[in-house]
Parts: sequence; structure tokens; C-alpha cells
Amino acid sequence: MSSFRLTTVEEFEAATDRLLETGAKVGADSWQMRVKNQTPHCKFGEEGICCRICSMGPCRITKKAPRGICGCDAHGIAGRNFLRFTAGGAATHSDHGREICHTLHTVAPDGNYKVKDAEKLIRIAKEWGVETEGRDIYELAHEMSELALMEYGKPFGVQRWLKRAPEHTQKLWHDAEIEPRAIDREVSTAMHMTHMGNSSKPEALVRQALRSGMSDGWGGSMCGTEFSDVMFGTPKPVDTEANLGVMKEDQVNIIVHGHDPSLSEMICEYADDPEMVALAKTMGANGINVAGVCCTSNEVAMRRGVPMAGNFLQQENVVLTGACEAIVVDVQCIFPALGPLSKCFHTKFITTSPIAQMPDSDFIRFNAETAGENAKKIVRTAVENFANRKQELVHIPQLKQKATVGYSVEAIVKTLDGVTNSQVDVLGTTKPLLECITSGVLRGAVAMVGCNNPRVRPDYAHIELMKKLIKNDIIVILSGCSAQAAARAGLMDKRAKDLCGAGLKRVCELADIPPVLHMGSCVDISRMMVLASELSKDSGLPISKLPVVGCAPEWMSEKAVSIGNYVVATGIDTFLGVDPQVSGSSEVTYWLTEGVRKWVEAAYTVEKDIEKLGDAMIARIEEKRAALGI
Amino acid sequence: MTLFETVFSGNDAVYGLTEGAVNAAIEQHGADKAVSFPNTAYCLPCYYAVTGVKVKTLGELKEALGVVKTLMTREMRLNDVFMSGVATALCAEFIEVLKYIDGAEPYTEPCYGHLADAVIRELGVPLVTGDIPGVAVILGSAPTKEEAVALVKSYQAQGILVTLVGGVIDQVAEAGMKTGANLRVIPLGKDVTSVIHVVSVALRAALIFGNVTPGDAANLMKYTFERVPAFVNAFAPLDDVIVACGAGAIALGFPVITNQEGVSTVPKSLILQPDVSKFNATSLEARDIKIKITNIDIPVAFASAFEGEIIRRGDMQVEFDGSRVDCAELVQSAEATEIEDHKITVIGPEADEMELGSKNSIAYVVKVAGKNMQSDFEPVIERKFHNYINCIEGVYHTGQRDMQRIRISKDAFHAGFRLKHIGEVLYASVKNEFDAVVDKCEVVIYTDPAECKRIRHEVAVPTFNKRDDRLKSLTDESVDVYYSCILCQAFSPSHVCVVTPERLGLCGAVSWLDAKATNELDPNGPCQVITKEKCIDERIGEYEDVNEAVRKFSQGALEEVSLYSIMEKPMTSCGCFECICGIEPFSNGVVITNREYAGMTPLGMTFPELASMTGGGVQTPGFMGHGKHFIGSKKFMKAEGGIERIVWMPKELKEFVAERLNQTAKELYGIDNFTDMVGDETIATDPEELVAFLTEKGHPALGLDPMM
Repeated sequence: MSSFRLTTVEEFEAATDRLLETGAKVGADSWQMRVKNQTPHCKFGEEGICCRICSMGPCRITKKAPRGICGCDAHGIAGRNFLRFTAGGAATHSDHGREICHTLHTVAPDGNYKVKDAEKLIRIAKEWGVETEGRDIYELAHEMSELALMEYGKPFGVQRWLKRAPEHTQKLWHDAEIEPRAIDREVSTAMHMTHMGNSSKPEALVRQALRSGMSDGWGGSMCGTEFSDVMFGTPKPVDTEANLGVMKEDQVNIIVHGHDPSLSEMICEYADDPEMVALAKTMGANGINVAGVCCTSNEVAMRRGVPMAGNFLQQENVVLTGACEAIVVDVQCIFPALGPLSKCFHTKFITTSPIAQMPDSDFIRFNAETAGENAKKIVRTAVENFANRKQELVHIPQLKQKATVGYSVEAIVKTLDGVTNSQVDVLGTTKPLLECITSGVLRGAVAMVGCNNPRVRPDYAHIELMKKLIKNDIIVILSGCSAQAAARAGLMDKRAKDLCGAGLKRVCELADIPPVLHMGSCVDISRMMVLASELSKDSGLPISKLPVVGCAPEWMSEKAVSIGNYVVATGIDTFLGVDPQVSGSSEVTYWLTEGVRKWVEAAYTVEKDIEKLGDAMIARIEEKRAALGI
Repeated sequence: MTLFETVFSGNDAVYGLTEGAVNAAIEQHGADKAVSFPNTAYCLPCYYAVTGVKVKTLGELKEALGVVKTLMTREMRLNDVFMSGVATALCAEFIEVLKYIDGAEPYTEPCYGHLADAVIRELGVPLVTGDIPGVAVILGSAPTKEEAVALVKSYQAQGILVTLVGGVIDQVAEAGMKTGANLRVIPLGKDVTSVIHVVSVALRAALIFGNVTPGDAANLMKYTFERVPAFVNAFAPLDDVIVACGAGAIALGFPVITNQEGVSTVPKSLILQPDVSKFNATSLEARDIKIKITNIDIPVAFASAFEGEIIRRGDMQVEFDGSRVDCAELVQSAEATEIEDHKITVIGPEADEMELGSKNSIAYVVKVAGKNMQSDFEPVIERKFHNYINCIEGVYHTGQRDMQRIRISKDAFHAGFRLKHIGEVLYASVKNEFDAVVDKCEVVIYTDPAECKRIRHEVAVPTFNKRDDRLKSLTDESVDVYYSCILCQAFSPSHVCVVTPERLGLCGAVSWLDAKATNELDPNGPCQVITKEKCIDERIGEYEDVNEAVRKFSQGALEEVSLYSIMEKPMTSCGCFECICGIEPFSNGVVITNREYAGMTPLGMTFPELASMTGGGVQTPGFMGHGKHFIGSKKFMKAEGGIERIVWMPKELKEFVAERLNQTAKELYGIDNFTDMVGDETIATDPEELVAFLTEKGHPALGLDPMM
């Protein structure tokens, strides 16, 4: 027990510094160096008031030049930029979801992909009014896949998943006209609205930004999460490890990186293949070790307990260890820098998706139909590359922590069942959690999500905020790179209960959970929406009244903005640690931080001082408690 | 008012009262007046346990009150609530101790008030052994005295120690119920503050048995939370003071169950149970207390004395025979929600609907659920069925899986024994023996032939196949840990078995899965985890970690063992091995003999003679005790070349192991029907004749290097 302590951000940084020394030796570039070169950033861009939507420009707004050539002011420009940013994120998540739906269409009893969670498929089918009685599960899967794909382009109606929300929320959406129609349409509409000569009214642009976000969280992302569960299994608590120390010096290290689990699931399968393991032995390795980076890592950690080597800003570090035989990527958040960097080492940088093609990479195209062969080829390439490792460059920082991950909504409910009393309670609800919150044992919950961003000391904001929240008896649910920061620090070790206030500590002990719960990848933030909806239905309170807030302290991608928009639109106040690049417009800022509250009962708060950000969240939670009289 | 505010308010009220009482006492007696409870070495035990400071005078009590005040912080956090609860309890102790000034005896029959240290020392052993499975604190008045008595009696019948505070004392007295420490029902006192006398017991237990340092409040609360199986039943109406006391109880880990409507509930901690008749079950579940079932409700006796009983055909009422009709016995793990504890269902005809002397189908499925249950334990539990059912007077059981055979005697039948009673026996035995992993258990007994057929072929057999596959996939390499087993150290104090997937314990009764389950069931028991991270020599299977473990568990008698060699550092033998193998120098091979074989071996020694030089926990290179199933293992004396060294076995043993041995020989060396090359007593018991036979058969051992 006494041996447990968190790994500090200083230790993370010392490990990184040591790796950068290796980098310097081989003449490698790094994000740290590129940040220096890019600083200071363009001020107009940072404030969102540079318009390059037509070729009359680019136009930028100053005191002397308050309007662009077409006459659009700072508010219109910032609003358009914000909407386009959102649309980029929504398109990205949703297209990932679409790939999953297509993969679902290939499932077969003897195929590369199978239905692993039939019960969940049947549950969703019933939700969608599809006949399930007496049907072959694969036939049902194919029908569901087609229905889901129709959600992307349906000519009429709104997203099917919206019905999962509490009625109150559904009504708000309807009244505010932000119910997403076809998923692709909300992206197209966003692009259309922001084309030269269309909307310049901030209110309209922000409204569509919410709607585009909704098409992601309550559309494409939800498809991605739910049907991934159907094919790869709904996550349940599993033990794993996190940080660079999970890489093994005596084994072939394959790093999976990106977002789509279709590839990484197959890589994991074939890394266990006796033929491949035998091949590794002949190459002088003691085995094949798969570890992950970014959200692909979250996916396979949640379902298989595959260790997590690092998050977004660690992606170069895994190569810098000199012990990475292959970094295999699918889509999103992949640094093009990995190409040149891999050339400084023996590492194979293997791209697999037509969506993410990069120079200096080996492109092994991955198809659902030929997934097995593709994966085997990739594993073989990595294994054969073991012989090329340059021993003098190998240095794996020996930092790692234990983590219990895998808290899907289903797993959380099941965990909560474990603390019920069968003499008085019903099972299968979130009521035990609500009881903890209502009684005050827990003050509330924070959903912490998002990326790393060099604008913030990497991982520091995530970890410090989590420490502060759990100390104040606030349970934290996590996804994405935020979750990996927690795991690497040790906050997902059940022993981290000793860092909590008495209330959360007791809850951790009784429910046998760590104080911060890993809910999955960034696409899986849709799980958080389902959880919030369940809490609302089980308590009879609107989501916005629950003492629950969202937080993205180190966000950086367009996806994060799309997520933020659907989280706010779902009624959850959201706190950002990085400016959403609209500060050049007081009106857009108003709409995001106050105006939208009229529509959805929640809004953004931006606070770059991490200490204050934490205090603001706690204060908001206590305000919500006071309003409820609890 | 929120729950937290209620606690704070109750705490403030009690503090005010205490302050007044202490001041009044000082005014009356002076600050130097001695205060103490009788017969305790821990002056003001609760305050001493929490702060480490002994209070002996009124003046010191006043100072202590100042310390208590510092606990009463008012942030809206559970820590503040817990500390206010503790502060309330300490105030109660102060109020109570004032009653004892000048050697007064404030409590009279039937109330006890303060309990002496000696009482705690007496309770210690039964609490540790589980003879007292829990401690109930009943507070207030039950809705009716009948309900009060029923509740107290229900705990009493389970062996739970009951303490009473407040109105319930009069209620049980009016009903004429006898109370007293000897009956495990202790009325403490009628004021709510007298509840401190049971808290005092719990805290002194932590100091006496838990070696908690007085003043180490964190470890004190950890001790009571983890080790004192107490809980509170508080009857409505609850006032602020009781709620504040309840916060103290919950801080110590004791859940509070109440019938007070409108209370703000907290899972596993503060539970609303409007139905007093369910207080017992609700409380036990909340505190995870499992009651050993000592009395199985069946019309015949149940004891190991009946294990060897045989029911002859003429004495038989009905029988069930898996070799003729569809039968099965199966343990299935399920979700807790899918199981109703102690539910026993018979689907199909009961024994009294079956013809006298008839042969019938039976399939019983025992569904179990538990937080720590793993599917690997299913067969471990299932293997005990034979033993359980055989212990029933007038019932006989042989076989397993879908090949069991059961007979019920006419006598048992006429005494009222029915199939549902098999369910009772299975339920009670599984719950008793596997309480570490089984929280809930339900039994379904099928006798309907169609259902039996379905259960056998669609449920049981696929499960058995899956388990067999799992067993096959378990190799020494595929697992991360091995287990030690020292079950037989009672006889052989320096012997340690190292149990691996491919090498079961030499008694033949402990497989790797058994050892794993034993370890989970009793983490401090005979089977301990041994890591296998530091390999010294892969050929003979020697590990630094294994050596370390063996050294530790043999108390230093053994330094090094190998897992796969009988020549180099062989594993020791106790005395309960199924087989012995020893080198046969003429053929470069080994001879194996088993306990059941009374005859001579080609080594010129019988089993007992060989056993006398092999047992006792000493290493005897060239000789080794082992289990029968080890013979077919790929790891059997792997270092010396493996099973192709086997040249002789008693015929019966040879037949028993033939299938697996032949399969292993085929896989390792490509030899078909290897056992045909192995001698037995019908072929030779003389080494020269044996060699002649081996030569004729072309036995591979002849071509191997000599072992010595």
C-alpha cells in the first residue's frame, strides 16, 4: 500500500528531456522545437478575426479596418470561423462512426469481424423499433448497419439517438431548432452558411455550431461508440498499465495510434498469433508487445487491457525510445512529423487509411474485408524490423502506473448494482450514484475530456484539476487524452482513493473503483451523454440542474470544439482551459458564454488559470446543489 | 435541512449539553475530581483511541472538550460530517463518564452501561473465528414490541451479538425476553448516549487486537471499517442527535439501517428499510455478513459419517443414472441480479411421483453469483457435489459431470426426503464452503426427461468442453504465476509442493486451478502465489522466485528445487503421493508405481518400500513422488528427456494414464501407442526380463544417455 505514489508531471518532463537528448543525437525534430519556431502565433488567427473564405482576402480586422472587403465585421468572421471549426470536428468524428457502421456491415460468423455483444445489438435494435425476435444476429447486424448509415444522409427527420435524452432536453432541442437532421447535412449546412455571402449573424452561426456538434455527439460519435461495442465488446473494468514504461526492451514493440478500433483490434489479434510470436522469437525478441497512443489506445485498453504508452503529445516520445519497431496509425491526431522522425530510427511508420496518408510512411492499406491479412502483414513487418533496432539508441523511461479502466455506462451501472441492497433497491439504475450526490457524500461529477496542447504545460492541467476535484469529493469521468494523463499519473490506480476527500474515498472503497473513471476515447464522449441522460431520468431532474460539469483544460482539435458544443447543448456547463479563438468578437464570446444558456440551459466558461478553473467548477457544482437544496 | 446540516445540528446540540454537564460537574466537584469508567485500562477509551490522550480528571475532561470542538468543522464535505459524528460520540462518552463519578453505579439490571475490558477480550476470539458473525446495535423503539423481539431473536439465532439502546430495552423486557451477555443480547442503557459503550468496545478491540496506536485516528477507522462487522438498526423517529451519532457509526464503517421515512439514503451506509421484518436481511447484506448455515433443513441426517454409505438395489426407492439416461450436474456463474438466493426449484416430477425402483433423469444446475466469483471456480465447486450429496443419510452418489449416479434409499424417502432436499444440501454446502466467492446461490433441479436432455446437451456438455479446452490451453508457459501448496505440512513439515498447470500436486488432488481457487478463497491459506519472473534454468525449470518461496514455506529446510527434473534438485515428497517414480539403471529409464499396486517392481522394491525412502520432505535425486495425472504431462521429467524414459508401470495405472500418455508421446516424439512399449507386472518384474521386453519393442529409453 505504502509503495503507491503518483508519477509527477516533473517526472514526465524529465523522461521527455532524456528522450529529446536521443533525438538531438540523431538530428530529430520535435514538437517542442516547432512550438518555439511558431511562437508568437498570429494574433488575428488566435482571436478568430482573420477571414480567408474568399480570394478577395484574406481580410483581418483591426481598429482601423473594422470590416472585411465584403463588409463582414469581426463578429461575423469569428462566428463563421467557429462554425467551420465545429464542422471540421463533427465531420471527423462522424466519418469515423461511418467507418464503424461500414465495418458492421461486413460482420460474419467466420469473418474478420464478428458480433461480440449481441445483447447490446438487440437492445439498440429494439430502441430503433427493429424486429429482433427469432432473427439471425448477423442478419440483424447488417440491417442495423444500413439503418445507421441512413442516419448520415436521411432526407427527412432528425437523429434516432435523440430519443435517448430526457424529454425535457428533447424539448429544448426542438424549441431551439438544434435537433440534428442527417449527420452529413449538418456539416454541409455549416459549410454552406459560412460560404462567402451567407450568414454573418453570430446568433445564427453559433446556433448551427451547436447543431453541427449535436450531429456528432448524438449522431456520428454515438454510432461509432455503440457499434464498436457491438463488434468488439462493451468495455468492462479491466486492469492495465500506462506510460512509456509499458514498452518492453526485449520484445517487438508495436504502437497503435489514432482512433478507429477496427485496425487496432486486428493488430492485437495477430500480435498473439502463435506464428507471429514464433517469428518474433526467431528474430531474437521475447515476444510481441502492443501498446497504444492517443484514442486508439483508449479503445484497446478499455476492451482488452492493452497498455497505454502515452497520449497525444507523447507520440514522438514512443519513437524516441528507439525501441519502437512500428508505429501503426489509422486516423486523426497523427503528427506528420512521425514520418521524418521515424527515419532517424529503425521505426516503421505505417499508415493504413486513405484518410490519413503521409509522406515518409509505409502505406499498408487496411480494408474491413481483408483486415486479417492486412493486420498480419503489418505485424510481420514490425516483427521483421526488430533486427534493425539500433541498441545504442534504445532508452525506455521506466515510468508506468497501474490503471483500472473500462467504465462504459453499462459497466458503471453494473458497478453501482454492486453497492445496492437487494432488500430495498432496484438494479440497473444510476440511483446509487444519485444517492451519493444527493446526500452530499459526493458533491458532484466532472466529465474531463480532451487533448494536450503545448499552450498548456502538457498533462499538468488535467492532473492538477483531477487531484483538486477528487480531494473535494467530486468524482471525475474521463475520456480521450485526459484519461491517459490520469492513467500515467496513477490516478486510475484504485489506491489513488487515498488522495480523495472522505466521501469519494468511501465510495471508492465500497464500489471498488478508482476515483477517476476511464470511459473511453473521444468518440466515447457520447457515453457521457447517455450517462447524463440516465442520471436525469433516474432523478427526475433536468440535466442542467444536476451538479455535473464538463471540462476540457488542454483541448486543441476541431473535434474538441464539436464535442464542447454538443456537451453544452446537452445541458452541461463546460469549462475550457484554452481559448476557443473567438476573443476578437465580443458578440460571439457572449453567445458562447451566456447567450446559448437561453436555449440549452448551459454555456461555456473559459479560464486559462488552472487553479481558478478548478475553483470555478467547484463553485458551479455547489451553486447547482444549493439551487436543488441538497 | 440537508443530511449534512442535520448532522452538524445534532452535533452542536450534543456538544452544548456536554459542555453544560462538564461545567456543572466541575462546579460541583472541582476540576481535580477523578473521572473514569470501571474495569478498563483505557481511560475514556474512545477519546484515548482517537487522540492518544488519557483523561483522568474533570479538568482534563474540559480540556478534552476543547479538542473535540476542533473536530467540529463545518465545510460541506463528508470528512467534516464524519468528524462531527466522531465528536458526537466523544461527547456521549463524556456525558456517560460523568455518571460514574465517585464510583457510582448508574446502570441497573438489565442494563449494562460500560463494558469491562475483560468482556472485550472474551468476545475477541469468537469474533475472529466468526462464531459471532456480527454485532448489531439496535437503537430506539420498534413499531411494536413483537417486532422488537422478532428482530432481536433473529440476530440471536444467527449468533450475532446484539446491543440495545433506548426503548427497545423495555420492549423486549415487557415481552419477557431474557437478556444478558451470556445470551449475546446486551441492553446498554436507555439514554442515546449509552450507545458509546458499544463503540467503546469496537475501539478498544482495535487497540487490543488490531495493535492500532492510540491517537492514530485514520488507522483506527480503517480497522473498524475493515474488521469490526458491526451495524446499526435505528428506529424512527430519528432526531438530529441520533443522526449525528449515526454519522459517527458510518465513519467507523458501520452502516445504519432505519425505518425513518424521508431520510437521505447513502448506498451501503444509510439505508431506508420501511419493513422492520427485513431489517435483518438488509443489515447483513449491507455489512457483507454471511451466516454459516449450521442446520440444513432436511428430514434426514447430514454428516460425513454417511459418506461411505452404499444403497443396495433392494433398499432403493429411486435412482438416477447418467450412463443410461440424461443426467448432469453443473455449477454456473450468473449475475447477482439473475439469482434469487436460496431459491430451489424442481422442474419435473418429484421423488414421490416416480415409480418405486425406477431409473430416472436428473440434472441440477447450481447458479452462483459473487463479486469474487470466477468461472474457473465452477468445476472446483462442482467437484464437491459428490462429497456433499454423499453426506446425506440414505443417499448415495458416484461419478460426475453428466455421468453421475444417485440412489435414494427407501428409508430416506419414507422419512420425507425429496429431491428438493438435494437442492437444500447443495445450497447450504456451497454457501458454507465457498462463502468467499459465492454471495448468492440458487438451485434448479430438472427431472423432466426433455429438460434433462436439453440441459445435458445444450448447456452442460458445451460448458464441460469449454472447460476442457481451457485446461488444455493452460500450460506452464501460459500462466504468470504458480502456487505453493503446504496442505500436508501437518505431516511433513518441510515439504512444499509447487503446483503448475502441467504439474499438479503430488497427492493428485490439487491442480493449478484448485490451488488458484484455494488461494482466492483463503488468501492466507495453504496455497500462495509464486511468481515465475526470474528464470535460472529453463531446461530443469528452476526459478529464483520459486526457490525463494520454497525456502520460505519450508522454513529454510529446502534451498532449491527444479520443476522438471528428478535428478537435479527434484521436488520433495511428503507422504501422500499417488505415485513414485524411480530410476531403473539397466534401461536408462524410470519405473513408476502407484499406491494401489501392492506387488513388486523391477526395482526390487514395493510401493511402501520406495515410499519410505522418498517421503518426508527431503530431496532424493532419482526418486520422486507425484500425482497420476502428471504422468501424461509434457513436463514430466522434461529435463531428463520426458515421458519416453518411462519403462514400467503397474498394468492398472498404465491403462488409467494410457490415453493422455499416448497422446503426449505422439505429440512429443511421434510415437504411436507408446504404452504398448511400457512394461508391467504381467510382462516382467525382473530388470533383465524387462530390458529384453523393451529391446523387443524398441523402447526409446534404451537409446538415451544414462541418467547417472
